[in-house]
Amino acid sequence: MNAPKPPDEPVSGEGPGALTRRGFLKAGGLAAAAGAGLGAAGLAQAALDKGKPPAAPAASMAKAARKAEPFFGEHQAGIATPQQTHTYFAAFDITTNDRADVIALLKTWTEASARLTQGDTAQPLDLNPAAVAQPAAPADDAVLGGMSTLDDAAPVAANNASGGRHAAVVTNAAVGAGAAGGDTVTASQAASAGNAAAGVDAASAAGADSAAGKVRAAAAIDSPASGTAGNDGYAPAAAPAYSAAPFEDSGEALGLDTARLTLTFGFGPSLFTRDGVDRFGLAARRPDALVDLPRFNGDQLVKDKSGGDLCVQACADDPQVAFHAVRQLARLAQGKAAIRWVQAGFLSMPADGGTPRNLMGFKDGTNNPPIRNAAAMDKLIWAGAEGPAWMRGGTYTVFRRIRITLEHWDNTEVGFQEAVFGRHKYSGAPLGKQKEFDPVDLAANDAHGNPTIPDNSHVRLSNQASNNGAQILRRSYSYNDGVNFYAERWPPWRQELEYDAGLLFVAHQRDPRTAFIPINHRLAASDLMNQFTTHVGSAVFACPPGAKPGSFIGAGLFEA
Amino acid sequence: MKYFAALHAGFSRALRGRPGAALAAGAAILASLAAGTAQAEPQGLLETIHKQTTLSSTVPDNGDQNPYALAVSPLTAGKVQQNDVLIDNFNNATNLQGVGTTIVDFNPSTQKLTLFASVPHDLKECPGGVGLSTAMTILKSGWVIVGSTPSNDGTTGTKGAGCLLVFDMEGKLATVFSSENINDPWGNMAVVDNGQSATLFVSNSGFGVGGAEAVEPPVFKQATVLRIELAIDPGKPPVVKNETVVASGFSERADKGVFLIGPTGLALGKDGTLYVSDAIGNRISQIDDALTRDTSAGVGRTLTADGLLQRPLAMVMTPAGHLLVTNGLNGKVVEIDPATGRQIYARWIDTDKAQSPPGNGDLFGIVMTPEGDGFYYVEDDMNTLVIAK
Repeated sequence: MNAPKPPDEPVSGEGPGALTRRGFLKAGGLAAAAGAGLGAAGLAQAALDKGKPPAAPAASMAKAARKAEPFFGEHQAGIATPQQTHTYFAAFDITTNDRADVIALLKTWTEASARLTQGDTAQPLDLNPAAVAQPAAPADDAVLGGMSTLDDAAPVAANNASGGRHAAVVTNAAVGAGAAGGDTVTASQAASAGNAAAGVDAASAAGADSAAGKVRAAAAIDSPASGTAGNDGYAPAAAPAYSAAPFEDSGEALGLDTARLTLTFGFGPSLFTRDGVDRFGLAARRPDALVDLPRFNGDQLVKDKSGGDLCVQACADDPQVAFHAVRQLARLAQGKAAIRWVQAGFLSMPADGGTPRNLMGFKDGTNNPPIRNAAAMDKLIWAGAEGPAWMRGGTYTVFRRIRITLEHWDNTEVGFQEAVFGRHKYSGAPLGKQKEFDPVDLAANDAHGNPTIPDNSHVRLSNQASNNGAQILRRSYSYNDGVNFYAERWPPWRQELEYDAGLLFVAHQRDPRTAFIPINHRLAASDLMNQFTTHVGSAVFACPPGAKPGSFIGAGLFEA
Repeated sequence: MKYFAALHAGFSRALRGRPGAALAAGAAILASLAAGTAQAEPQGLLETIHKQTTLSSTVPDNGDQNPYALAVSPLTAGKVQQNDVLIDNFNNATNLQGVGTTIVDFNPSTQKLTLFASVPHDLKECPGGVGLSTAMTILKSGWVIVGSTPSNDGTTGTKGAGCLLVFDMEGKLATVFSSENINDPWGNMAVVDNGQSATLFVSNSGFGVGGAEAVEPPVFKQATVLRIELAIDPGKPPVVKNETVVASGFSERADKGVFLIGPTGLALGKDGTLYVSDAIGNRISQIDDALTRDTSAGVGRTLTADGLLQRPLAMVMTPAGHLLVTNGLNGKVVEIDPATGRQIYARWIDTDKAQSPPGNGDLFGIVMTPEGDGFYYVEDDMNTLVIAK
């Protein structure tokens, strides 16, 4: 396998070019960038400084990165990062059997994520599409816009010469596995033009108008069709393939604040082996701690809301920014990975900066480990020397989609709800205490000798004192996906349209075998809350440590 | 007042995480006791109950839910120790009713729950398949007999007539009883066990009952109580010698929430009177000469109705000869003196305020401890086995 190549672009926001671009765009905005070329010149210079081909005439329409979280670092962001108000979680299944494709995907995702989290578009934008169109193109192309034609000869050179848009296109071709996925339009157009069978090692301009609309098609006739076999999947310049990129970035985050966007990646058990097959030569590298979660009492897991080879957790203080990020990454994964399930979530922050509340109306997260205490985090959350080196500084993350029967909950007394949680609803204090952060006293009894915090309350069963000191870092979000018909699992067994709402439970830990699994076994068996909650989705991922600039997420997993 | 304080403490302990119910339930007990004097001899069993303890989840590895029947083993054999409690499950892991197929074994000494038996849902010998009901007994000869009230989709729309399944003490299915007289054996059995012979009373709540789609599903007056006489040769499974319908015409209907409502609890008095909880009639009926009669007594005579009863379900007899009956529509157990028909009092044994009123729909099976000093029961809300004594 070839050694991974570093990304072409400075993606960290730490290089001078990046700073210049961002500063310029902040100051001048889109019109100046498109019109004057000052920014473009600066960018070109920055790229040249790094010994790369000129990347783009105008590469980016960056969002003002007023609230940006670093992407590169010892740990991935989005784990110990102070929680943002929104999430968009996506689990992916890999659709290729080629290890190089997986590496290429992770590199592409890393590159795009480093840009997105710093307020850039997923890929450099072509801010002057008209200039890209070939002079020979018929006039109606200009009307339609967006599609380019290509000379028969020297397509790669043409791409490079025409600047950033085509550079982006080539990158996309490598990512998008040629004719598969989003490039299908091009391929079918090529087929309709009779060029596909020709097998010529050059791109050909399709002469016929397509039935779908008068667009000129350029087809990648390079062989093999995937365009990536035989290399590490990350060598766009070496792949003489061409396919039209529909866009570099969908654009709905343009002008929005970065909103502390974080993108966190994880590897599911099925990445290592699926149905007993070691697709990517990774089976031996699966960490012991990345166990398949056992069945828990009351689980009603839906296959379509569970599992995944890979995951991306986007968190941001703006739901549009979070979704935008996943949307870009999903597009960049075309031909290599497809979405398996997604879940959006929200967590509104109290104005006083206090602990946010879940949909049951209780404060959630009070007893989390201290994220600013490095020693505690090392002990409880970050994987250490006990596992493979490639996971050191990473964490194991459990996602559970937990539906809450809010209609049922809303018809119970507050006093009972407090008994279920083991906390007072309004103050958040443990039962028998006054303040939210008063210690949970599991030994306290009332005047009759009954435990102040009931035996089957959520707080008692999940407390570290009840679980051999095990702790998890919860970073959950509420969700609300409309209504569906449900038959309740509990007396009096209502059957009606009810909210599909609840909690996207997210728990980070050093080892699920000593954290989430034993804790949830206790909860699943005895928690009073089980009368209102149903676990309908489940997944576990090994989230590797943070990437270093020039490398990519999970690189250690693929090193020999 | 010392007496009351102790009782109150015991009751409160029993709440197990539902302290909000303490006041209301305590008041109910106070009201119940007000009629008598605090220092009097116990009028019944319920006032001697001091503590309720959750012993175990009843959910086996396959995830079956909704515990229904309870039976205490009179013998040690096979997988089962004497005084073990067997519990069956009516629902499967997806919580569909009438498709539960497992019996679990709780050992009070080890406090461990193990799987005793599991049968395929689509067992051909049992018309309609298997969904284990509240009818279960363990014979001294070493046979476990359990009813099936099966469905294919969790509703009565696909229910079958069911059967009685007979297991050996290893949990292996030995034989199946089905006949035209057996149609959804639903409630707990009353049993006379003489070793080489035994008499079972089974309530059948399925005759004529269809789906539950209607807002108010129709009530059919076709439920029966069947007396089944068994001959048991050593080493061989029981054989049905005789079937006699001793009561008939009880109300029964389909229900979206609880599947079926019909006569459920059966308990046999020393004089051969059979007591039947008529859930829809909200009463306890008595069938005279149940062990010997060869005709149906119809719906029998009403022993007591309404009052503390709220959809009476499973029923058991205390050593003193009182009836304990679980209420379907609240979490109470009611104690009745069958000699007088008096409802002595009720105790709120499931105060789960996730339901309204507390415990609504949570109770079903109940069985006395071997010592007779208390009772085991199941809580459908939490899928647990609880002891009260």
